[in-house]
Amino acid sequence: MVQIDLSDVSVREANELIRKCGEQGEDVDILNPDARHHIGVGLTSPITVNVRGSAGYFCAGLTDAAHFKVESNAGWGLGDNMYTGSVVVGGNASAIAGVAIRGAEIVIRGNMGSRAGQVMKAGTLFCGGNANFMAGYMMYGGRIIILGDSGERVGEDMSAGEIYVGGKIGALGAAAEITDTASDEIDSIREFLDRYEITYTGGFQKVVNNGANLRYAASETQIRSIPFFSFSGKSDYWNPKVQEDIYTKSQIGRYRIRGYGGARQLPHFSDIAFRKDLVMPEAGEDVVSKVEMRIQIGGKHGAKPLDLSMPVMIAPMSFGAISRSTKMAIGMASTLAGIAENTGEGGMSDAQREAATQLVFQCLGGRLGWNIHDMKRANGLEIYISQGAKPGFGGQLMANKVTKELAAIRGIPEGIDLRSPSRHPDILGGDDLLIKIEEFREATGYKVPVSVKLGAGRIRDDIKIAYKGGLDFVELDGMQGSTGAGGSEVMEYVGIPTVAAIIAALDGLEEIGAAGELQIVLMGGIKDGVDAVKALCLGADAVAYGTTTLIAGGCIACMQCHIGNCPVGIATQDPEHEARYHPKVEAHNIHRFLEGVRWQIAALTQALGHDSVKDLCRDDLVALTPETAAITNLPYEPGYRTRNESLQRKAG
Amino acid sequence: MCGIAGIMFKNGRTDHETGVALIDMLDGCQHRGPDSTGFALYGEELENELRLRFLVGEGAEADDSVVLIKSALESHNAEIVEDERVGNTYQALVTFDGDLRDFAYAMEHAAPDAKVISIGQSLDIIKDVGGAHDVDDRFNVHDFKGSHGLGHVRLATESDVRPESAHPFWATGFSDVAIVHNGQITNYWKMRRRLEQRGFEFRTDNDSELVAVYLAEKMADGVALRDALKTSIEDLDGTFSFLVSTKDEIGYAKDNLAAKPMVLYENDDLIAIASEEVSLNRLFPGHALNTKEPTPGSYQTWSKST
Repeated sequence: MVQIDLSDVSVREANELIRKCGEQGEDVDILNPDARHHIGVGLTSPITVNVRGSAGYFCAGLTDAAHFKVESNAGWGLGDNMYTGSVVVGGNASAIAGVAIRGAEIVIRGNMGSRAGQVMKAGTLFCGGNANFMAGYMMYGGRIIILGDSGERVGEDMSAGEIYVGGKIGALGAAAEITDTASDEIDSIREFLDRYEITYTGGFQKVVNNGANLRYAASETQIRSIPFFSFSGKSDYWNPKVQEDIYTKSQIGRYRIRGYGGARQLPHFSDIAFRKDLVMPEAGEDVVSKVEMRIQIGGKHGAKPLDLSMPVMIAPMSFGAISRSTKMAIGMASTLAGIAENTGEGGMSDAQREAATQLVFQCLGGRLGWNIHDMKRANGLEIYISQGAKPGFGGQLMANKVTKELAAIRGIPEGIDLRSPSRHPDILGGDDLLIKIEEFREATGYKVPVSVKLGAGRIRDDIKIAYKGGLDFVELDGMQGSTGAGGSEVMEYVGIPTVAAIIAALDGLEEIGAAGELQIVLMGGIKDGVDAVKALCLGADAVAYGTTTLIAGGCIACMQCHIGNCPVGIATQDPEHEARYHPKVEAHNIHRFLEGVRWQIAALTQALGHDSVKDLCRDDLVALTPETAAITNLPYEPGYRTRNESLQRKAG
Repeated sequence: MCGIAGIMFKNGRTDHETGVALIDMLDGCQHRGPDSTGFALYGEELENELRLRFLVGEGAEADDSVVLIKSALESHNAEIVEDERVGNTYQALVTFDGDLRDFAYAMEHAAPDAKVISIGQSLDIIKDVGGAHDVDDRFNVHDFKGSHGLGHVRLATESDVRPESAHPFWATGFSDVAIVHNGQITNYWKMRRRLEQRGFEFRTDNDSELVAVYLAEKMADGVALRDALKTSIEDLDGTFSFLVSTKDEIGYAKDNLAAKPMVLYENDDLIAIASEEVSLNRLFPGHALNTKEPTPGSYQTWSKST
């Protein structure tokens, strides 16, 4: 037994020591914890940690296999995301105890705070006293046992799992109902209580999902396919797109869901031109070797930064929205190009990890597929707040794609229309964000950068919170960004354009005296190296390609990503469809595209008179439309449009 | 974007180490808000006198402000008994027996570059950029003896780090009412316009000031603090946990969604409330406390004489 006195050492040092003890199989006693946060975070060894007093936030969070005993109370997020192992708390636990657990046993002898067991997937959360409101909020599985009263709105928006209540049941949450408890369930509960030496002779009422909210009542059928390029064409009111939209809604009686991105005309990089008359490189000239393009992203707080051979990354896209083969191909292409790939929501597969040398692991509010082991093998951790295609909304994955395998990785019931939570259980403000980031850093020994993905809404405010939160970089996604499934109107009308987003972000940082102190990776409708250079000129540190890489890898832009029957095997989980996709071939196609981007960035940088992408600046740009000039404050020079066109004719 | 703390010693005496207790509690949750720190301190009640504290800044501009403040005090028949420049503030003890609200608004307009931080018979607000210990170094908060007080640490996310954006907030126009608040009032403008139509003035765009004025107005109408807290939960939209204090009472209110943390500890001698247990534990190092987490939509008050 090793004793660690928190009145002498910091939690960070203590956690290093605890992990070392774990490797040696030695149990740990924590003295004078005094409700400090993050005790034991990231531990993955089967040892016992005794906390001799009260623990603060996220005690035993992001752990697997370890056993914790907390003598007194525990703060927010007890046992956060715990896989196997156990926590026993002698006193009370605060809000979101057992949040996102995936199999752990959590025993709270006293009362527990609100939203206990939020988005839990498997395991047991036990409360000897009373629960507070919204116990089992959005739970996907596992069981909650409450000996006392349930509190109000128990089982709010639960998808699956059981909540057993010994005392009074307050108001039931939306989508919850009371049902009978089978005798084998009672036996299993008794066995659990015996194991933790809990005496209880009373009965239980069981709260489960009442069948509501798991699937949309009507599924959206594909009526006829309009290719995106005609779908988004200039139009009057009553065009085929509007007609199809009205007709479909008349059949399904609700808002529509589709894949791809917004199709409205918005101010974009095509409304910006280069101010100088560009001197194009000689035929066969090796511009790539002449221009400094390597950039490191995310090292500002001492973590190992992403090392990019050019200021380009792959935008986050989930294994789920797109197939395993596609994720593999993109991963391989990212490795070939020397850039970084991103998991998106829904976990990290071995195939993906092996394919991509640098892989950012994304954490969403539903904590689907999020776990300590993959955190430790990631090159970056990213907190998804929202995305450009649907800022403020959670992800959607329609039932067709929620296969048995996908459901197992994410820890959710098979075949539901998955609507991921739009917010994190434990990030309800900037102060919470700080404590959450600290948890990630504690769990991974401060070695990997922690970033945030922001969909462009109130970016001027959000970027300040990101900066003050101490993040290592920001991925900023404008409304031209795409998605695998989203509300059609949301995609068209919610958010601000990508060029507006970068300007708002830079202005926000400037306002708090932090210009240049937070790296920004811009994405959302960036389609080539020319757009990339414009973005870099405006002030982005790097750009990310999402849809572009899909198209480079064979996407035909039919916008039916949400259906799951992707004809080219990208946006599907159906093995037959996926078989049409050849990851190695597509990896090379995507890679060739990325090398084209590299050449364009180099050639343009050189043509603008610079030898490093870091020298690109606003002075190199003009706006071609009054709207874009107003958004960007670039000089309005419509004359450059004709000059550009004639240049392009020459080049063509 | 912040952490809050409050403490009240129950025996009614004003010789408790209130300053030290609040410094410890705020240092304990400084991670929630490293940018600025503030204290609302309640000491011995002055008889027939008011304590005013102005934020004046430093240098020649501050000197000009002090001259203007002094002449404004004189023109409102407030006689200076004692005054002092501390840090970036100017503090004056004055005799005054007119209408406090008019006087307070007049003081707000006394000098263009100065702001009133607090007015009261026992209240004194001290707030500045930096951590609890930084502010203590400038204002000797640790010397303060009193009966109760509130504290606040702020993470400045929407505006620059400035002393005037620090909390606690005084209920502009009402003596001895202070508030610390963690959260966001989403019907801020609607509530503010309602109060403005009734003649109340606001010094900032900060929603915490609104909560303070909202409660103070109710109390001025004879509503008990407890009842004012009750209606605040109905009238204010958003996510919030706040603490309020008057000359004799301290209380909390928590929104219906309980999205902002709050923990309290009570024994025979004191009641202490904070965003996180780690702050409460600073008062009793090495001891596990029997704490309580207030339920959603709840409120409670404590009085120093009971």
